Amino acid sequence: MNHLITLTMAIYLGGAFLISLLWRENETVAGAAAISFVALSAITSVLLGIEVFTNGSILYFAGGWERPLGIALMLDPLSALFLIMTNVIALLVTIYSAVYMKKYTWTPYFYVLFLIMLAGMNGILISMDIFNIYVFLEVASVASFMLVAFGLRAEELEAAIKYTVMSFIATTMILFAIALIYGFTGTLNIARFMDASAGLTPVHLWFLAGLLLAGFALKAALVPFHSWLPDAHSMAPAPVSAVLSGMFVKVAGLYVIIRVTANIFTNLPQIRILLLLFGALSMVFGGLMAYGQKNIKRLYAYSTISQIGYCAVGLGIGGYLGSLGVLMHFVAHAFSKALLFLNIGAVEYVRGTVESDDLKGLNDTMPVTTLFGSTGMLGIAGVPPMGNFWSKLIIIIAAVKAGYTGIAVLCIVVAVITLGYFLKLQRTVYCNLTESPVKKEAPKTLLVPMGILAFMVFVSGVLLVPGIREHTLDKAVAVMENFSYVDITIGDNR
Amino acid sequence: MILYILIALMFFIGLYGMIAKKNIIKIIIGMNIVGYASNLLFVLLGYKWDGIAPILTEDMSFAYFLEKAVDPLPQALVLTSIVIDLAFVAFLAALAIRLFEKYGTFDIDKIRRLKG
Repeated sequence: MNHLITLTMAIYLGGAFLISLLWRENETVAGAAAISFVALSAITSVLLGIEVFTNGSILYFAGGWERPLGIALMLDPLSALFLIMTNVIALLVTIYSAVYMKKYTWTPYFYVLFLIMLAGMNGILISMDIFNIYVFLEVASVASFMLVAFGLRAEELEAAIKYTVMSFIATTMILFAIALIYGFTGTLNIARFMDASAGLTPVHLWFLAGLLLAGFALKAALVPFHSWLPDAHSMAPAPVSAVLSGMFVKVAGLYVIIRVTANIFTNLPQIRILLLLFGALSMVFGGLMAYGQKNIKRLYAYSTISQIGYCAVGLGIGGYLGSLGVLMHFVAHAFSKALLFLNIGAVEYVRGTVESDDLKGLNDTMPVTTLFGSTGMLGIAGVPPMGNFWSKLIIIIAAVKAGYTGIAVLCIVVAVITLGYFLKLQRTVYCNLTESPVKKEAPKTLLVPMGILAFMVFVSGVLLVPGIREHTLDKAVAVMENFSYVDITIGDNR
Repeated sequence: MILYILIALMFFIGLYGMIAKKNIIKIIIGMNIVGYASNLLFVLLGYKWDGIAPILTEDMSFAYFLEKAVDPLPQALVLTSIVIDLAFVAFLAALAIRLFEKYGTFDIDKIRRLKG
């Protein structure tokens, strides 16, 4: 069972290799191969997730080199939650792109890059070593730059160069921090650094935490490090946007920030104030900017900044409720934002535009797409049965309990703004009657993954039901709350 | 100490190139310099003056080895990081050529169709 932990990532890498070697001429075969590789990996990750949530964390030493020399790979409930989400969303998106990507040329290379990006994301989640996290982060990032530029139109190239240069700055900061961590403590293992960091002065800790936080906040697109995200996410092909917005910013940004604040720098609880500040800024700025957007994909991209802000605020508040809110919001937002990007991709596939001025009366011409789109919008806006409502409620309650009343008010105001811009979109794009509606629905292959995601958006709140919560979210929160994995990673050789 | 200051200087020269220059090629060169600075810092952390290669031979005492041998781990890490920098630079160079085809310029201020 333990060996499966490397398999999720290895399947993706092997798949990318095989597709580029054998099936690069035949896009149908390449698509089918990509779907089966992702499905295999999704099954593996669900099996691993069940194992982790029932029997506890899995620790694996690459190549059989035991501690303290070996490279530790590790899956605990927190990373298992992210792993399952990544691979399930990736599976749905790959099925979707089998049809959607037909309008592009050289689609086999799309699958190659897509699988490499997923391999990097899975690698981040199973690494317990900060340099490994950095390497996999770059594997995923470089693949994602190429995917953003995949259409090769002028705007896409422009978005890609902004994204790449900004990401390089983040990379440099992270690498400097890693170099200094190694210089100060002589270790790169997260858990061992926890031990060794007790000997560092607050100045050192602040410097390291600041560099790491700035680097990963840039990946997570927290304001003021957000400027690349609206361009990159609005210009990428729809399936890529769905994975970038739904999972990538969360795995490469949020997940690592959770590790940095909750697990690595436990000696320095003050950095949570920084996250609170960045989060509040992101919430408000993303929400206000989304309100004025004409390009719907761009609107969704700004909405992502705003919603990531909620996660950062929850993390900044901390405590049981704050952590629970972060994880719930992550799950709910990942499903609904992936759904929205796939949905606008289907509209683009049929109508050829994503400008809200050119789209009218979708409710009459594409009823099923409209239904799924509305589900996603109501989901992100936080209308009661959806998971996002409960997560926002938990974050607000946590803020009030921790004494941040201003932040709680801000959360409510931004929730109203979110509902506002989605209702505006509903009115102009979906409900504006045209004179002679001609029904032209998106193909079924596009509708099925959207339908599954819409169902997930509806039921994601079920994770909070007592009885299910204890076995899933609570275990992941426990990783953020107290540092149980130190004991597992270092063990008796401490 | 002087070496660390020189590395910091190199880092800031690269950063200046990235931020102040308008030409994409010069930005890429700036990124290269920044990358070299961080790699050099990494290597320097594991370096020892008059050190030997970290290979333990039979005629060498263990104490001598520990005292003299340089730390091999940063060198291994830097190799990885150099490869990542290579991927960045190769991709950016290709991107710059494509951008020149589309926009007819390398000036980052004139490549500005996305806003809002």
